Amino acid sequence: MTLTPELWIQRQLTRRHLLGGMGLGIGAMALRSFEGVARAETKPSVAGSTRAKRIIYLHMAGAPSQFETFENKPELAKLHLQDAPPSFLEGKRFAFIRGVPKVLAGQFRFGKHGQSGQEMSELLPHLSGVADKLCVLRGVHTDQFNHAPAQLFVQTGSARLGSPSMGSWVTYGLGSTNTDLPGFVVLLSGGKTPDGGKSLWGSGFLPSVYQGVQCRTEGDPVLYLGDPEGMSRGMRRRMLDALAEMNAAEHARSRDPETLTRVEQYELAYRMQVAVPEVMDISKEPKHVLEMYGAVPGGRAEAEAQSDPRAFYRGGDPTFANNCVLARRLLEAGVRFVQLYDWGWDHHGSSPGESIDETLPIKCHQTDRAIAGLLRDLEQRGMLEDTLVVWGGEFGRTPMMQNNVRSELKKGFVGRDHHPHAFTLWMAGGGVRPGISFGKTDEFGYYPVENPVSLRDIQATILHQLGLDPFRFSYAFQGLDQRLIGPAEDPRVLREILL
Amino acid sequence: MNGLRIFIAAVLPAGAAFAGTVDFARDVQPILSANCYACHGPDESHRKAGLRLDVEAEAKRPYEDGVPVKPGDPAGSTALARILSQDPDEVMPPPKAHRVVTVEQREILSRWIAEGAPWGVHWAFEPVRRPEGTLDDQVRTGLVSKGLRMQPRASGEKLVRRLALDLTGLPPGADMVALAEGGLSESEYGGLVERLLGAPEFGEHWARMWLDLARYADTKGYEKDLGRSIWPYRDWVVGALNADMRLDQFTREQLAGDLLPGATESQIIATAFHRNTMTNDEGGTDDEEFRVAAVKDRVDTTLQVWMGLTMGCAKCHSHKYDPISIHDYYAVYAVFNQTEDADRGDDAPRLSKPTPDQSAASAAAATKVEEARTALARVSGRDPKSRGFEAADPDDPAEVSEWKKRLSAAREEQRRADAEILAIPVMRELPVAKHRKTRVHQRGNFLEPGAAVEPGVLAGFGPKPDGAVDRLKFADWLVSPANPLTPRVWANRVWARLFGTGIVETEEDFGAQGAAPSNRALLDWLAAEYRDGGWSLKHLLKTVVLSEAYRQESAVDKTVRSADPGNQLGSRGGRHRLPAEVIRDQALAVSGLLSSKRGGPSVMPPQPSGLWRSAYSGRQWVDAEGEDRYRRGLYTYLKRTTPYPSFLTFDAVSGEVCQIRRIRTNTPLQALVTLNDPVYLEAAGALGQWMRGQGESAGECVRRGMERALSRRVSMEEARPLIALYKDALEEMRRFPEQAAALVRTCRVQPESGKTASSAGGLGSGAAELAAAAVVANAVLNLDEFLTHP
Repeated sequence: MTLTPELWIQRQLTRRHLLGGMGLGIGAMALRSFEGVARAETKPSVAGSTRAKRIIYLHMAGAPSQFETFENKPELAKLHLQDAPPSFLEGKRFAFIRGVPKVLAGQFRFGKHGQSGQEMSELLPHLSGVADKLCVLRGVHTDQFNHAPAQLFVQTGSARLGSPSMGSWVTYGLGSTNTDLPGFVVLLSGGKTPDGGKSLWGSGFLPSVYQGVQCRTEGDPVLYLGDPEGMSRGMRRRMLDALAEMNAAEHARSRDPETLTRVEQYELAYRMQVAVPEVMDISKEPKHVLEMYGAVPGGRAEAEAQSDPRAFYRGGDPTFANNCVLARRLLEAGVRFVQLYDWGWDHHGSSPGESIDETLPIKCHQTDRAIAGLLRDLEQRGMLEDTLVVWGGEFGRTPMMQNNVRSELKKGFVGRDHHPHAFTLWMAGGGVRPGISFGKTDEFGYYPVENPVSLRDIQATILHQLGLDPFRFSYAFQGLDQRLIGPAEDPRVLREILL
Repeated sequence: MNGLRIFIAAVLPAGAAFAGTVDFARDVQPILSANCYACHGPDESHRKAGLRLDVEAEAKRPYEDGVPVKPGDPAGSTALARILSQDPDEVMPPPKAHRVVTVEQREILSRWIAEGAPWGVHWAFEPVRRPEGTLDDQVRTGLVSKGLRMQPRASGEKLVRRLALDLTGLPPGADMVALAEGGLSESEYGGLVERLLGAPEFGEHWARMWLDLARYADTKGYEKDLGRSIWPYRDWVVGALNADMRLDQFTREQLAGDLLPGATESQIIATAFHRNTMTNDEGGTDDEEFRVAAVKDRVDTTLQVWMGLTMGCAKCHSHKYDPISIHDYYAVYAVFNQTEDADRGDDAPRLSKPTPDQSAASAAAATKVEEARTALARVSGRDPKSRGFEAADPDDPAEVSEWKKRLSAAREEQRRADAEILAIPVMRELPVAKHRKTRVHQRGNFLEPGAAVEPGVLAGFGPKPDGAVDRLKFADWLVSPANPLTPRVWANRVWARLFGTGIVETEEDFGAQGAAPSNRALLDWLAAEYRDGGWSLKHLLKTVVLSEAYRQESAVDKTVRSADPGNQLGSRGGRHRLPAEVIRDQALAVSGLLSSKRGGPSVMPPQPSGLWRSAYSGRQWVDAEGEDRYRRGLYTYLKRTTPYPSFLTFDAVSGEVCQIRRIRTNTPLQALVTLNDPVYLEAAGALGQWMRGQGESAGECVRRGMERALSRRVSMEEARPLIALYKDALEEMRRFPEQAAALVRTCRVQPESGKTASSAGGLGSGAAELAAAAVVANAVLNLDEFLTHP
């Protein structure tokens, strides 16, 4: 199918129309491919910095404890199992804590790593080996303390459902560089969908073409990608040829450019049927690369088959590691935004399989090597400098143990409640300064005392690094110029952490 | 790139390229609204320098440094001077606001002030007055102003298909198509309109439109997203639409059915409209926080659905663009703040609807519990009448243990029996003594209560009701003849469904930031017709579909298309991709699989396994067998966090929040759905099977299959590529019988061995023939024409 100049202009007009503040949905919505429509035409979004061309966001759903990973707080050990001081509790709302809980010391040993001397716990031996690549943000805070709203806030900038996800914003602004693959891909591990559900990668009020496409490791990698049994590749090709001929005739009658767009979408779907399974096939990776991540092609988690995965983690789940390899392959193939969710980080200590002392080490073990491997692999391929890697949860955990569970320590039941006031998140690559810590919390890790960072600052910084101006990159909806960073002017780009 | 420039010139609302008088509402207010109102508008807390430019008297009065807008004197107007300034410290809006007033916009402002700076009310807030003439007159006038004229009528076949899809969401029946083939007389067309409006499928189709707005879903949302039984509300909507319930009554019953005198069960069920808000069952959540979120959702949904007003900003601070203060917002909030529901796990209050059998089972279980309790008391030596009184030693520990077992079994039985009973979440007003005190939530935060507010309505849209405002009075106010927005918003919505885009493109926003109407006279004509015609949706639809505007040809050349890209002027018949549910229903209908079963609990047609993996919900999606596999899309179970994937791909809603319109997209994922989703494969199998006996030759059978799908005559020449495809596919399927067997299995058709084309006539019904026919039918169901509103 070739485009006549006339049709091309028509399509550009439609695109222009789409973006010109005239709103969306007017007549033909000519999206030629998975590429976004914005790019060149949305001038207002282009900022000075384009250090990152692509991004991989590793979201640990459930919110990992900072006290067992990055935040070494010896003061907590001094107060261990004593009643929490009143300053911890007055005027606070907690998800589960009631009354006066006991202070809980960090449960694992810490050490300083690399030239930069980043403090990390013994649960992260591999990540410690790449400490000099990380920019650790230690004073991140949020205003949400329940999982679903907090995850939505991280990923969509709104705690309520219905706003576009960061990945949708980014692909809306930048498109994809591969016309055979979606620009925004989501991969899940840990056996469950994160609490916020599919809205976490929804396109909200942006056109649905920008929604994240969940690639699955079981069944069709993209829903309905596979032709039915009995439909050979050749048969499908001939069927699409006949369809294209029929649709060309229809276009001659209707003269509706949308018809030609549809023909192209069928062609793209046909190409995706080859491109997606190919990129998803990690068994093509050399053995030493797979080992670097700890990936096992085709490996399955025991938890996958169980109804409640919390009780069944045995430590042998390679899904996250496989997803990390896959993520790198997708980025290499031109995908703009890869989002990983790993479920199972909600360690309250209230039931077997969700404790700080027993489950957290398993979750760290499942992810530590893979993340370090991902950073090394990206660097070896020269991709780290323009690939932004972000790791974090949706909030932190309390310096107190959760007292509605029990008031003394019991093996397998050590836990912490949700803590929105301060937690750790790190970035690497993509023009972010490596080997630094930014921000500091008080001696109990309760509040930031230096360089507090809001999640909106993180969002602003991510957009900025990708070359989108977080303040001007907007979309008119419901009477507001909607932005990822929200309506207020207080978010800021964290220039101190940028190269 | 030349085209771009031409286009930009064409869409400029006014300015150098546009001679004539500047109109405040059309040309000036949008500029002020977009660039100035954020700091100089209705929001007093963010107002800078005490200046407001949204009120005429304020903009034209002298300030320290002069008069912001001085009529007739652009050079003497300080606001304009600031906008035109080159000095970064002087220029407005300031550089940090990231807003730029373009050269054309500056020109408009200068000209407007030079012309005397006439002010006006925002157009949508002015009273609705019916213009002279017919609907078609309004459309024609609008077209003439753009140098266009109406297109000729579409063919009878096209019209019949258009009409059936618009009114019932289904393709026309064979008899209707036959009528069209014979040339459609005026009275036949009118008769068809009546017949389709009277069909039960009418309500099923238009209910979908309403359920998007009502954010209807079968689950509670948020993290756990557990199920709830709210489908009787869906059936209520279908029934109300089929009965053509007047909009004022439709409004009263849904917003306040429980407050109507002598409320019927049906009117109570109608109030589930506002129980479609989400309930958060996540552990550790603050129920009050999510009750508040639900009440805010009710306020936002109500004002947006009826009046096209967006409340996103007013819950935190006064609206920046429309005259709605934070106080106004919480006055409406106070109206909706007095119901019993409170984000409870059981969704209480609920209306129980036991069947007679269920009532009997529940009563029987209750009797058993009572018996066991009495017996236990007796054998354990405890007098059931005097609690805590210990009598002598129990007679027989074994007997005690036996009765304990029976009691617990009976209780379990009662719990199960009660769980079977249908219980629908509904609205119930708190007794006056328990009414909540409403306060403004400062910065939108319910933990920061501000000034107390009394329930009320928005000022400036008709008279305030007498006495304390409750939900019923609020409903009356929404549909009072003095409210200009309700009829406009509804008329626009109906027009958009038929023509593809609204007259006001931003169906969700009729405020200062929304799009201007493309033809205001047309909108007002329709609004007046709806309001004064007894608020009858069927009457409004009938009026539109009988117009010449509706009956126009949809195929137009590029001149028309570029003058009216979105068909907002009604320059042609609507040609747009059909909605998700219609695409599915249509495929099932033309293949003969569609079930005509109406109402009842939602069903689960096949979807890929492993999608429902929410963190805590144990409920599974079990693919339906039999009739429930092929019900209309309206009845598909909608789980908010995991909607039925092939609908979502075609831009259907998740039901999380009220969605006023669906933005249509055209993506490769849609192609994958209609090519490979089992429901489309089964439809292809069934259509192929139907084609099989339709003629002497394979070509004839294929041609008839196309005719059935497209509801029009198709020539052999037109069908040629698909006939060739059939022959090609048949050859392959004969060569690879296991391939044919696999495909017919997937498509769920039953081959009859030995009946090949030669022996049975037509296509034959061996596996190879059926498989080849399914390939062709799969193509038919993917034709652009099939997927598109004609």
